[in-house]
Amino acid sequence: MPPRLNIWPACRALSIRTRAFAQAAQPGPAAHSRGLADNTTSRLPPSASGALPPSMLPESEPPAYTSKENEAALNQLRMIEYGLSPLDSSVEGHKYGLPELPLPSQKHTKHRYDAVITQVTKLLMRDGKLAKAQRDMAMILNYLRTSPPPKLDPSKPLLPGAPPAHHLPLDPVLYLGLAIDSVAPLIRMRGFKGLAGGGKSLEVPMPLRARQRRRTAFQWILDVVNKKKSKGSGRTMFPHRVAEEIVAVVEGRSSVWDKRLQVHKAGTSNRANLTHSGIKGMI
Amino acid sequence: MSAPNCLRGLVRPSATIPISAPRTAAPRVAPIALVRSAPFSTTAINARRQDPNQQGGGGKGHVRQGKKLKLGKFKKNAVESKGKPPLPGERKAYRKRITLSNDNAIPVPWLKDLDADDLASAKNIARVLALPEEVQDQLRASEAFKPTQCWGMFRKPSLLVRKESVDLMNRMQASVDRKQTLRLVVTGDKVTGKSMMLLQAMAHAFLNNWIVIHVPEGQELTTACTEYAPIPNTEPVQYMQPVYVLKLLQAIKRANEKILAKTYTVSGHPELPQNITPNTPLLALCNAAKEPDSAWPVFQALWNELTAQGANRPPILLSLDGLAHVMRVSDYRSPAFELIHSHDLALVRLFTDALGGAVHFSAGGAVLAATSRNNAPRSPSMELSLAQREAEQTAGKEAAEVPQKDPFFRGYDDRVEAVLRSVQVLRLGGVSKLEARALMEYWAASGMLRATVDEKTVTEKWTLAGSGVLGEMERAALLTMRI
Repeated sequence: MPPRLNIWPACRALSIRTRAFAQAAQPGPAAHSRGLADNTTSRLPPSASGALPPSMLPESEPPAYTSKENEAALNQLRMIEYGLSPLDSSVEGHKYGLPELPLPSQKHTKHRYDAVITQVTKLLMRDGKLAKAQRDMAMILNYLRTSPPPKLDPSKPLLPGAPPAHHLPLDPVLYLGLAIDSVAPLIRMRGFKGLAGGGKSLEVPMPLRARQRRRTAFQWILDVVNKKKSKGSGRTMFPHRVAEEIVAVVEGRSSVWDKRLQVHKAGTSNRANLTHSGIKGMI
Repeated sequence: MSAPNCLRGLVRPSATIPISAPRTAAPRVAPIALVRSAPFSTTAINARRQDPNQQGGGGKGHVRQGKKLKLGKFKKNAVESKGKPPLPGERKAYRKRITLSNDNAIPVPWLKDLDADDLASAKNIARVLALPEEVQDQLRASEAFKPTQCWGMFRKPSLLVRKESVDLMNRMQASVDRKQTLRLVVTGDKVTGKSMMLLQAMAHAFLNNWIVIHVPEGQELTTACTEYAPIPNTEPVQYMQPVYVLKLLQAIKRANEKILAKTYTVSGHPELPQNITPNTPLLALCNAAKEPDSAWPVFQALWNELTAQGANRPPILLSLDGLAHVMRVSDYRSPAFELIHSHDLALVRLFTDALGGAVHFSAGGAVLAATSRNNAPRSPSMELSLAQREAEQTAGKEAAEVPQKDPFFRGYDDRVEAVLRSVQVLRLGGVSKLEARALMEYWAASGMLRATVDEKTVTEKWTLAGSGVLGEMERAALLTMRI
């Protein structure tokens, strides 16, 4: 009798699993879609003070090639070994997997930057040189990051809900947006020709949309900037002048605040014109 | 003198009093407006302008009435200058100023200061370490920081220890142990950290009590922007650059003050303005240069002392950034109006001799040079030599793939090739992902990178930066509109 009909070789083929199968397809990258398989685990020394957020602290010094993604990939390889098909159908057959939907806005080429930043950068642009304007904007943000926190002026209040002053430099996008939104006028004066009598135009206050308000405010800021003198020379000078004016706006020193006040006063005095019979149905 | 004349001397002179006496009688009391000697002038206005002591007088002289032809009436809105214009050099100083800290940045809790052997130990690869205060001052004195580097964004100036830096420091250390001189050229693509590698070498040298002599920009020596003068009794004629050398001496003095005070001369220097006797501290020798005139002899004396054989000297690091500029014909002209080769400038020759291996330091040391990819002139000989040395290093002894001279090209320079015949070459490229991660964690911990640093982000920035070119990583992650 050949020995292979014996029961024991069959027992030998049995394996004992020490860990449970992953029942469903694991979320996360699959084995064949991982192009990142280097050991780039953090080597930060563990700090007892806990000053860092927990996401930045490794639990311990992990051995090489042990990350969560690697673990998932190894599990999937084991399941393939057992003849199961653990691969996610959304990942299988695609070199880089399917994108997560809906796409986050920053993944879209045209929306990769903050809305205010995009608009203001285009206002900085001269002669159609967008790349230069973008570099200038990066320098403005950099200046805001490195300048000392602004000393707020209570008589020129910023938007309600603004963070405290010492938070601003570390979030320069917020800093810039806050400055622009705070000095932005709410209205503009629209003149209706010849309605005020004697050939004069009738000034009527009109509300502005957010984008229009930001545009007006930043044009005012640019007007001031273009009249300023540079301290130094070189390509950083224009962005530094803009950034200095932004700081001046937040600190309440800028003359842009007066312009805003002027527009608002004119709007208040002319609001009676809203009921003028000549413009009925025109607004 | 007659009585009426005497009395007239007491009267206040005015235009209404007829002065009958001759002009010479009372010259001192006459008002200036009256004694105006008629200078040559065509009009009353011009005559007035020539007289600087004009007081009062009123009126502006004769101004022609009536219509005038207005030329350039569209230029009326010329901007009037407000305030005083900036002093010469002030705007450049503002542009070139170096800020080494940012008080807004969050202090990084796990950041440690550099120790003497930190840069040479392999366990520190892919860690970020801070420069101690003292070394910061020394590096600043020797102009190792550049305004284009991102020092101004973080709380403390810090360094990423790379694989190549540990390699370089170990080579420096090994050459000192064998009392030899390491001669090495750091080269690589744009913004790969060549100047930063020099800075790390200097930091290592300062921490280990070396004497550091650093030429921050090779181009300052050869673009004819500093004064030069022939050195008497040299054949062929060499040229000194007294003003630059004085500046260099002062930088050396400030950066190496402690060590120079503990190092003594072995021979006297009676030819200097101050008589330096043997056993004087080298610091006193440096102090002997007060004027540009005496700077070159003092520098030469200092160099002779540092390279004196058999003397007890600390190791010496001699470094230069922007090698291509000193490996070409300079912009200076000889009295015969011929261009001077850079190697005929005495300071450059001193460096190239050391780089070529003609100088021996008694306690060993290093001569380092870094090439630059910005604003560097083409130097075909240098490029070829560096490529040859690199090929020889990698291929071992066989010279099969070593690049050869183009036989139809005339722009090669034998003197440059002689200098670079036996140097080592350290080529820098991108950093590994591990190093990139360490750096990005430092950025994030300082609050300058507002993103989660995980494998995906690291790989993204590493790839965007052309496989981890450090300057490009900074551009992709720090200097962008997307913060």
